[in-house]
Amino acid sequence: MKIILVDDEQKFINMLAKRLTMRGIQADVVFTGRDAINRVKDTAYDVAVLDVKMPGISGIQLKKELKSIDSDLKFIFVTGHGIASRSEANMIEEDLYLSKPLDIETLIKKLNKIIKTG
Amino acid sequence: MDNATNFISIEGLKFFGKVNASISHEIKNILAIISETAGFLHDLTDLAKQGEDLKLSLLESCSESIAEDIQRGFDTIKQMNQFAHSVDVPIKEIKIFETVELTVKLSNFLSFSSKVEIENGDKEDKSILTCPFLMESLIYQILICVYESIGPNGHVLIKFDSQKKDGTSLIISTPSNFILDGFPTPDIQRAAKFLGFELNINSSNQKLDIWVPYVSKEIVALEKALQINSKS
Repeated sequence: MKIILVDDEQKFINMLAKRLTMRGIQADVVFTGRDAINRVKDTAYDVAVLDVKMPGISGIQLKKELKSIDSDLKFIFVTGHGIASRSEANMIEEDLYLSKPLDIETLIKKLNKIIKTG
Repeated sequence: MDNATNFISIEGLKFFGKVNASISHEIKNILAIISETAGFLHDLTDLAKQGEDLKLSLLESCSESIAEDIQRGFDTIKQMNQFAHSVDVPIKEIKIFETVELTVKLSNFLSFSSKVEIENGDKEDKSILTCPFLMESLIYQILICVYESIGPNGHVLIKFDSQKKDGTSLIISTPSNFILDGFPTPDIQRAAKFLGFELNINSSNQKLDIWVPYVSKEIVALEKALQINSKS
């Protein structure tokens, strides 16, 4: 499995990537939406794990842009905010959403599920 | 004056909610980093139990990282505490630079905030009689407008100009284009009015000048009105 992690909290995402790699999951890391778009143009990933709120672009908006580049790419959302608005909550299915601080085993279960079910 | 106190109540709740939401997000992020680092240490321990060498350099960097984030958490809570005490007394004498600095720090918790530099050319931090909470709310809302205009990669400079005897100018400027559509908003206008502050925008040289009187007649009137309300 190859995934891309997108979050502006660099320490968090670097540490998460290390732990996923220890578990046999190849995890690339980017800190901005723009970098995520550029990376997905060049590299095929199975899943993108996105922060819901980042400087300059929301996770929902980023998902739309990444989906337009790679229609097979699947998504999981991570947030420290909680879903504040109803419209955001409606756009993110419960299965695809995780709250910080993360439980890595829960994340891996969701990754495996999303790969299997598509 | 009832209008002023009603406005402060309604806008105050909105402002309080916004700031608390951004602080809680910051604290969650800090705890998330500490949680991942602790999880990584646990993973290393598991590997060591399976016979892998335990690299001391990794242990050292993890413990330093945790210490840094705990300090970041303490700093955040200190700012939260300072902010919480802004409402202890509705009208009081405060230090301008200190209040602006706190408000900038609170605004930096917003995901779309730009980088802000504050220059205080004055030798001392001037005092003003004001409603601290409403002043923080006004500056916070102005900063939001600026951040939305220039984006998270933008730079903001705030300077203090105390050449006049009866007040100070806060001059907000940016090197990039400063397009403030619809500025000032009705809420910003009302807050400035109740505080006795004046807002002047010079779009040709990309500057926003906030005139802050040391004692405004509006604040004196508001203080009297609040004293009357508390006695009745």
